[in-house]
Amino acid sequence: MTGLSVGEKLFIQGGIAQDLRTDGRKRLTYRPIYVETGVIPQANGSARVRLGGTDVIASVKAEIGRPSPMQPDKGKVAIYVSCSPTAAPMFEGRGDEELSAELSIALQRCLLGGKSGAGAGIDLSSLVVVEGKVCWDLYIDGLVVSSDGNLLDALGAAVKAALSNTGIPRVQVAADTTGEDQPEVDISDEEFLQFDTSNLPVIVTLTKVGRHYIVDATSEEESQMSSAVSISINRRGHTCGLSKRGGAGLDPSVILDMISVAKHVSEQLMNKLDSEISAAEAIEDDS
Amino acid sequence: DTVFKLKYCWCRYKPEVGDIVVGRVIEVAPKRWRIDINFSQDAVLMLSSMNLPDGIQRRRTAVDELNMRSIFEENDVVCAEVRGFHHDGLQLQARSQKYGKLERGQLLSIPPYLVKRRKQHFHYIEEYGIDLILGCNGFIWVGEHAEPKDDMVIDEQANKSDQILKPSKYSMTLEEQERAYTPLETRQNVCRTANAIRVLSTLGFSVTIEIIMDTVTMSMSLKEIHEMLGSEFCVLVAEREAERRSSAKKKG
Repeated sequence: MTGLSVGEKLFIQGGIAQDLRTDGRKRLTYRPIYVETGVIPQANGSARVRLGGTDVIASVKAEIGRPSPMQPDKGKVAIYVSCSPTAAPMFEGRGDEELSAELSIALQRCLLGGKSGAGAGIDLSSLVVVEGKVCWDLYIDGLVVSSDGNLLDALGAAVKAALSNTGIPRVQVAADTTGEDQPEVDISDEEFLQFDTSNLPVIVTLTKVGRHYIVDATSEEESQMSSAVSISINRRGHTCGLSKRGGAGLDPSVILDMISVAKHVSEQLMNKLDSEISAAEAIEDDS
Repeated sequence: DTVFKLKYCWCRYKPEVGDIVVGRVIEVAPKRWRIDINFSQDAVLMLSSMNLPDGIQRRRTAVDELNMRSIFEENDVVCAEVRGFHHDGLQLQARSQKYGKLERGQLLSIPPYLVKRRKQHFHYIEEYGIDLILGCNGFIWVGEHAEPKDDMVIDEQANKSDQILKPSKYSMTLEEQERAYTPLETRQNVCRTANAIRVLSTLGFSVTIEIIMDTVTMSMSLKEIHEMLGSEFCVLVAEREAERRSSAKKKG
């Protein structure tokens, strides 16, 4: 992104202070969201989300694996994000490592809860096939195709849409195995179970510029931020995860206020996203 | 059913002598500024091709050369005229009062072929209090109206007078900054105009002052300015353009 002049920066800050951003949005208004599902036919589920100039793709691949001995009743989920050089020239080669790592960790924190699996937005126990022996491993990959700010919210939406689009094959377990042996499993080619995403949170990032917070910041607005807090909130209004970036410190009361603002915003976002996802799936079914 | 065939090509700008362009300063070099104007090479604005802050026509001194950043610095948005291709590459000039640094507003970038060469590229929309500059290179400036100034930005001058109104990047408290912000009504007009240009650009329509103002007027019926970037308004703008073209055909 090219630099901004002093005058332009002041204009952006003034807009945020006066609740009229450079594209006419209010502080808590999202850009129009466009969702497409099933964009990667070979994956178990996939989706593409566009938020203004930000364009991201998420794909879900499911493979049979063994549950971890510490959590025998849960499947496993791995989330990894990478940034395409088409998004910015600096992402060429290994240039995207830092940003990709940051986004991957933030997504994991928002969707997967703690190390014990507690508080996860994704229900890991629904992925178990035979307790202690067979489970589904989900590999969720995010790709940033074009970047104009608010990558985390877009990726969160794309993951939600991709998981809604995900079909887990039905598995028949051979009944006659005993003891420590790995049971034989027969993976259906035809029958799929839709992954349950009703408890999946949305991610709302609040970017602080001056005295105010905005949602869905563009790259220009992000360049003016002092700090940003990303909160994942589920349908019940519960906070599933939180991460903060930016050099400036925040008073705890500010963070609590941000959480309540995010909760308020998340309702609209959740509804909008759900309706966009249903519409996208309907189009996909027709085609 | 009509089929729309959009040939969307991000063509590079093809400069012609006399073109008004808007660009961003990339580098402050000895006796010149290098400016990005969306051309295959950077344009050059020589110190000697600029009006000096004191307005006097004189030879540039060593002090002038050292003070170049007090006129334009890196990332500043400037308006200039294409002088021609000389030994150094594409040369610009900014000899009239109306050229210079653009400050309180926003810069948009659209495909250059959407900007038609006309007699006028600077537009002061008095009823909205905004300046609109349609750079032939596809860079468009929309901002709060700035009187063609006799005083360019020299920090000493700014510190003596009007410190509240002139944004200086150092020593401004939050209150002073807030007082310096563009007034809300002007800002609304800037945003509407910018969004009008964004919609027209997305649709691939030529961007002229008449069409922009017409689009802004159409947007007054919307509840929120940001709805201008939604699909319904986009359809309205397309329909309006279709009307315009069919009535032009009937006349011509």
